[in-house]
Amino acid sequence: MASTIHDQMAAAGKVKRSKYLPQGVERLKEEHRKVVKDCRSQFEHWKKVENDYESLQERLRTLPDKLSYDIMVPFGPLAFMPGKLVHTNELTVLLGDNWFAKCSAKQADALVEHRKKHVKNTLDDLQKVMKNFQNRADFTDDLEKLTGDTGDFVDIREEVINEEEVTKAKHRLAHKANSKPKQEYLLDLEEDKEKKEGDEEGTTGVLSEEELWARLDELERQEELQDERYRYTRLDSTDTNGEDTTSSSEEEKEADGGSDVQVNGHQKENGWVPTSITSQMNGTNGSHPEDEEEEDCDEEAGNGLPTIYFSHTAEFKKVRINTGKNTTLKFSERNEQKAQAKRKKKSGKSNGHSPHESYKITSPADIYRVFVDLVNGEPIPRKSILKSRSRENSVCSDTSESSTADFEERRAAFGRSWSHDDATHSDTSDGITEEESPTGTSPHTNGCFEAFTSTVIEKDPLPCSIPHLTIAPPALPTIPERKLEEVGPEAPQEPPKWMSKFKATRLHQK
Amino acid sequence: MAEAIHKKLQSELEKYQQMQKDVSKSMTSRQKLEAQLTENNIVKEELALLDSQNTVYKLIGPVLVKQDLDEAKATVSKRLEYINGEIQRYETLLKELERKSEQHREVLSSLQQEYQRAQAQNP
Repeated sequence: MASTIHDQMAAAGKVKRSKYLPQGVERLKEEHRKVVKDCRSQFEHWKKVENDYESLQERLRTLPDKLSYDIMVPFGPLAFMPGKLVHTNELTVLLGDNWFAKCSAKQADALVEHRKKHVKNTLDDLQKVMKNFQNRADFTDDLEKLTGDTGDFVDIREEVINEEEVTKAKHRLAHKANSKPKQEYLLDLEEDKEKKEGDEEGTTGVLSEEELWARLDELERQEELQDERYRYTRLDSTDTNGEDTTSSSEEEKEADGGSDVQVNGHQKENGWVPTSITSQMNGTNGSHPEDEEEEDCDEEAGNGLPTIYFSHTAEFKKVRINTGKNTTLKFSERNEQKAQAKRKKKSGKSNGHSPHESYKITSPADIYRVFVDLVNGEPIPRKSILKSRSRENSVCSDTSESSTADFEERRAAFGRSWSHDDATHSDTSDGITEEESPTGTSPHTNGCFEAFTSTVIEKDPLPCSIPHLTIAPPALPTIPERKLEEVGPEAPQEPPKWMSKFKATRLHQK
Repeated sequence: MAEAIHKKLQSELEKYQQMQKDVSKSMTSRQKLEAQLTENNIVKEELALLDSQNTVYKLIGPVLVKQDLDEAKATVSKRLEYINGEIQRYETLLKELERKSEQHREVLSSLQQEYQRAQAQNP
C-alpha cells in the first residue's frame, strides 16, 4: 500500500503539473487522514485500558481491609447469590500467555504498576505517530498550495538563448560548470516535492550542500579574477526587485544555511522561496541576471503557475567609473546587485521604501540621480555616503561617522573591480556595506530591514559575501525577515571561508 | 496476437495477486508473532517481580498446573527465543516474496505495454 502510494506520488512528481497531481495529493491526504484516525482510535482504546488499571489498583488497595466481604456472587449469566468473599489477600494473577501466579494484593499492585508503564509507553508512541502524520498532512496541504494554481506564486521565466555572445570564454566555462549540477539538483527536488515528504530533507540537503560548496568555489574564482565579469547591462534593465531576487537567490545558494533554505523553500516550509517569488512578482520586468541561482530559483518557483516571461536587454556596455582611488573599475553584476539591494534596504529603512517606487529606479544610475538631492550643496553625484558630511541628512541615517575611517581603509585595500554608472555608486554601495558591518548587532533589535543588515553585517565587510544575505525588498512581510534572522546566524559560518580568501587578496593588494 | 498477450497478461496478473496474498498472510502472522513477543516480554518481567513464595500456574487446556518459578522463567525465556527465531524466518520470507512480487510487477507492466501496442496495431 505504501509502495503504491509512493509510485503514484513519484509518477505524480514526474508528470507534474498534470492532472495526476491533484489526484495524487488527494490520495496522499486520504492516507494521512486514515492513519491519523487509526491512531486516534487506538489512543482511545489504550486510554480506556489505563483507566481500567487505575480502578483495579484502587480495588486492590481496599480489598485486604476486611477479612471477608458479603457480596452477591454471580451464578451463571443471569443470577446472583449472596455469598462471602474470603482470602481477600490471595490473588491469582494472569501474567499473560496462559501463565498464572498466586500473590498478595500488594504484589499484584506492583504488577499492575508495571503494566501501566507499558501502556504509557504505547500511548506516547501513538502520540508521536499522530503528530508526525498530522505534520505530514499539513505539509501536503502546503505543498498543494505551492504547486497548485492557487495564489500568490507566479512563474517568471526568461528564455536565455545567446549566452555565448556576451560572455568571455572563462565566464562561459564557469557558468557551464555551475549550471549542470544545479539543474539536476532542481529536478531532484521537483520529484522529491511530490514524493512523500519528510524523508527527502536529509538527502537533498546533503546534495545541495556539496553543490553549494562547489558553487562557492566557482563564485570565488569569478570574484577574484578581474577580467571575467558578468554582463554589464543586465542590470540596466533591472528592476529593483529583480536584483533583490538575485541577491536573495545568491544568498540562498551561497549561505550554509542556504542548502536548508533552498530545500525548505522547495518544500515551502520556509519563507525563502515565497520571498523571492513575491519579489519576482513585484517586478514584472524583473531582470534575470546570468546567475544560475536565479534561474533555478525561478524555475523552482514556477510549476504550472501563471508565467511571466521577460528577457534581458541585448546591450552590452562596459561601464567605467572614476571613483578616485580605483579608477578603472569594471562592472560587477553581482556586486552591483548586492550594492543595490543593500542600498535599497538602507534607504528603505528610513524612508519606508517609498523613494524607490516613487522615483522609479530601474538601474543603479537612477539611485544616484535620485539621491543626488540629498547632498547639501549642488547636485553632484555623491562620492560616498560615508565620506560626505551630508550623511546626517542622507537616507541611511543610522550610519556612524566612525565607520568612515574603516571604510576608507577597506576601500583602499580592496582593489576590487566595481563598475557603476556614477562615481559615487560604488562608494555608496561600499559605504553601505561597510556601514552595516560596524553597526553590528544593533540593527538586529530593530524592525524589518535591520534584520537584513544584521545578517549582512555578520562578519564580512566585503560586499561580495554579503549579498547572499540580502534578500527581497523590505516590503515583504515579517516572516521572511524572521527567517533571515534565522538564516543570519547560519550565514556567519560560511563567510569565514570567504573572508579568508578576500582578506588574502586585500592584504595582497595592500 | 493481442488475444495471446491478453491471456498471458491475465495469467501473470493472477500469479501476482496470489503472491500479494501470500505477502499479506505472512505479514499478519508476523504481526501475531510480534504481539506474542511483547506479551512474553511482559510475562518475563513480571515473573522477575515475584519471589519463590508465590506459586506459579500454567493453564494447559482447562487445567491450572502448578509450576516452579524458575522453571517458569526458563520456559518463558525459551519461548521468547523461539518467537524471535520465527520472526526472523518470516522476515526473510517476506523479503523473498517482496522481491518476487517486484519482478512480477515488472513483467506485468511490460506485458501490459505489449498488449497496448498490439491493441493499437490491430484494431
